[in-house]
Amino acid sequence: MKYWQRIIAVYLLIASLFVLCNFDLLAQAASEPRSQRIVSLAPSVTETLFALGFGNRVVGVTTYCDYPAEARKLPKIGGFMNPSLEAIAAKRPDFVIGVSSATDPAKAREMERLGLKVTLISLASVNDILTSIKSIARLLGSPEAGEKLVDKITLQFNQTKKRVASAPRRATLLAVGLRPLVVVGGKNFINELITLAGGENIAGNADQPWLNLPDEYVVAKAPQVIIEAGMGSERGESAKHWSDLKSIPAVREHRVYAYQSDKILRPGPRIGEGLEEIARLVHPECFAEAKRGVGKGSGCEGP
Amino acid sequence: MILVNSVLLALLALSIVACTLLGPVRLDLSRALHDLSFANPDSEILFRARLPRVLLGVAIGGGMAACGVVLQALLGNPLACPQMLGVSGGASLGGILGLILFPNWLLPIAGGLLGEISWVPLAAFLGALCSMMLVYRFSLFHGRLHPYHLLLSGVIFNSFIAAVIMFLNSIIDFYQAQGLLFWLMGSLSTRAYLTVAFIWAYIIFGFLWLWAKGLSLNLITLGEEAAMQLGVETAALQRQIFIASSLMIGAMVSVSGMIGFVGLMIPHVMRLIVGSDHRLLLPASFLAGGIFLCWTDTLARIALAPAELPVGIITAFFGGPFFLFLLYREGRKSLAL
Amino acid sequence: MNPAIETRNLSFAYKDREVLHDVSLSVEQGEMIGILGPNGSGKTTLLKIFSAVLNGQGEVRLNDRDIEAYSRRDLSKLFAVVAQESSMNFPYTVAEVVLMGRASYHSPFALEGKKDLEVARASMELTDCLSFANRYLHELSGGEKQRVIIARALAQEPEILLLDEPSAFLDLKHQVQVFELLCRLNRERGMTIVAALHDLNLAALFFPRLVMLREGKIYRDGSPSEVLTEKTIDEVYGIRVRVEQDCVAGKPQLFICSAL
Repeated sequence: MKYWQRIIAVYLLIASLFVLCNFDLLAQAASEPRSQRIVSLAPSVTETLFALGFGNRVVGVTTYCDYPAEARKLPKIGGFMNPSLEAIAAKRPDFVIGVSSATDPAKAREMERLGLKVTLISLASVNDILTSIKSIARLLGSPEAGEKLVDKITLQFNQTKKRVASAPRRATLLAVGLRPLVVVGGKNFINELITLAGGENIAGNADQPWLNLPDEYVVAKAPQVIIEAGMGSERGESAKHWSDLKSIPAVREHRVYAYQSDKILRPGPRIGEGLEEIARLVHPECFAEAKRGVGKGSGCEGP
Repeated sequence: MILVNSVLLALLALSIVACTLLGPVRLDLSRALHDLSFANPDSEILFRARLPRVLLGVAIGGGMAACGVVLQALLGNPLACPQMLGVSGGASLGGILGLILFPNWLLPIAGGLLGEISWVPLAAFLGALCSMMLVYRFSLFHGRLHPYHLLLSGVIFNSFIAAVIMFLNSIIDFYQAQGLLFWLMGSLSTRAYLTVAFIWAYIIFGFLWLWAKGLSLNLITLGEEAAMQLGVETAALQRQIFIASSLMIGAMVSVSGMIGFVGLMIPHVMRLIVGSDHRLLLPASFLAGGIFLCWTDTLARIALAPAELPVGIITAFFGGPFFLFLLYREGRKSLAL
Repeated sequence: MNPAIETRNLSFAYKDREVLHDVSLSVEQGEMIGILGPNGSGKTTLLKIFSAVLNGQGEVRLNDRDIEAYSRRDLSKLFAVVAQESSMNFPYTVAEVVLMGRASYHSPFALEGKKDLEVARASMELTDCLSFANRYLHELSGGEKQRVIIARALAQEPEILLLDEPSAFLDLKHQVQVFELLCRLNRERGMTIVAALHDLNLAALFFPRLVMLREGKIYRDGSPSEVLTEKTIDEVYGIRVRVEQDCVAGKPQLFICSAL
């Protein structure tokens, strides 16, 4: 009898120790979703969180997270490529969400070793972006919010696609830097946006998401639209940069645009609006509200 | 001497033509030459996109090689290269700061008549001048520039600059980082004939000036004291060579970023072919450097088409193993001594 | 006759260590003198000051003109130096090295002319290095290199020849050859020769005037018999020797009194 009792006692002791050590995990599991603390490691993730309605749960963002306006007031945990592990851990987050292409896997492992739950999403393609919105929503316990947001974006996509549906494809170049010339390449969600907007990225056959392009290639591919979307691209700089290459249709027809916009460049919930912006640049005639006979004969459906 | 240089000159002319005709894009030569109107893509590719950068490549390759020869003599070290003076680091830092702070400021030339140039290369050149003055100051002892101190100051200065650049790299955004890469790895991409002409004038002038000092350079490689005893005003010569080559390197890096290994490899290759007499070695290296960079730029354009590799990667690709081979050979030679 | 080299109250210090102290020396044209002294006595420093590599405090006059009044190019035509070390970082052939001695005689923009080639050839013949004229300097033995440096110095057609331990790397045969050459140059061309020497016996045999330095000061200046006495050697070098006359020319020769 004594022998049995001892065994049970030891067993109970070990079990209770186990329970005690994992008490806060148990507490977490039982807690309401509303007390979740989230740290975002990327501006696109921050936008997604706010768009899904989880803005009040976000306790830490990067220094580049500037949309929506409330995000700017949130505490910062570092930069995009180099977040501070200490700052993240100090926020005691329940979830740390980052982008797989930007976050070093070693850093992610370190965070997990500190006991943080790290989720890395891929934003390489439009599909990835939409999927990640849904998975973030599911992760945080509100899958319906994700579905709603994706539906909204899909609707925006379809509206724009309808507008440019019968317009002829326009060769397009989207650059983010002039010196050196850095352009959107193949495996890039922006490339897909260009295609959806009725354009054809002249560097779309390249494997790299971003690449340096020699000038001769641009001349040879004769883009009809050139969009300069980089930071600090101002006023006439872009047009001036290309002005001596008059064989390029975009230069001849004055379709060189300097248009700096995060909606185009950020793989987040605003890509629906970003797509419309690109489409307006690539096919402005499809957005000219029916005036002076532009609507008919230009190959675009009416608004 | 005439023979070797004539051959090299002919090769250079051939290379210029060949490299202008080569590229990732197929060119219709007849259309390019016959229809020089503005709206002809072939002639624009040939004359606006390719020719300026080929010409720039020749100037910079030649200038880097010439500076390499001269610095190896000045520092008494066959493993010296233009990067070691710290000037290129300073120019890169100036350029990067210009890129971050005011990438779009433009400076009108001749009241706007000759066009405008970006402030960024000017910032780079200012950086080059500052670093040149600093390194000079740190190496000056009793009014003389000691090669040993020059080498040391240059290397330490470069390390410091590299650290600053890496720091900047960590705080800038993705798009600015691409520009930073340009400064670190070099690019000959240019369409401005004005820039090319300016660099050509600068480098030809510098090269001719250095060539005139060829005999003194021979003497100074025998050692400072021996050179003095053979009639060279070594203190003045060291100063002049340092300033001339620094100015040349500063100008080159301001326009095309850091293109390494040309200044190290070409002098050695040419030394094997024409010997160490600087009166012959300098022009030979200049021409060979031009040919080399011309072709490596063509390779940079073609290798991963349509993407353009930074030309500094191709030169490093050839230069790295060559450097190791050199080290091995120098090591064996010193062991044999 | 103007003295070829004259110094008065010459002093020199490296940082805070005084190497030469109040040296006054006069070398006549056509003289052949050997500078002796233990390591660190200032022999090399003295030669460097004579050749305008270092600047000392005090006056140094060459051919009765202050040394600072000369340009380096003119100095290089006046005297030539055979130093102990030579830098060899770059591959030059023997012929190229000897030709560099002619640098001050032709325009820096021109290549060497016929006269330059002739002088270089003659110099190489005198020093017995014609046979390896096309070999690279770094392939030669120490002694062969030394002879090439002497050839280069001779190619400068100097009036004064300064040598810093010229026999340092040479075998006995070549040591004697070099000294005999120096005597011949002195006799036939009237070249003034100043050499820093460490081999006292050879110095006594070939040099009519010796200057013994000790701790940066001139200890003794005179003929070999006057300078190389047992007392002098003991005081300067701290070694006991026995001095005897050599059988041929009556010059003093030293025999070390070994401890055994």
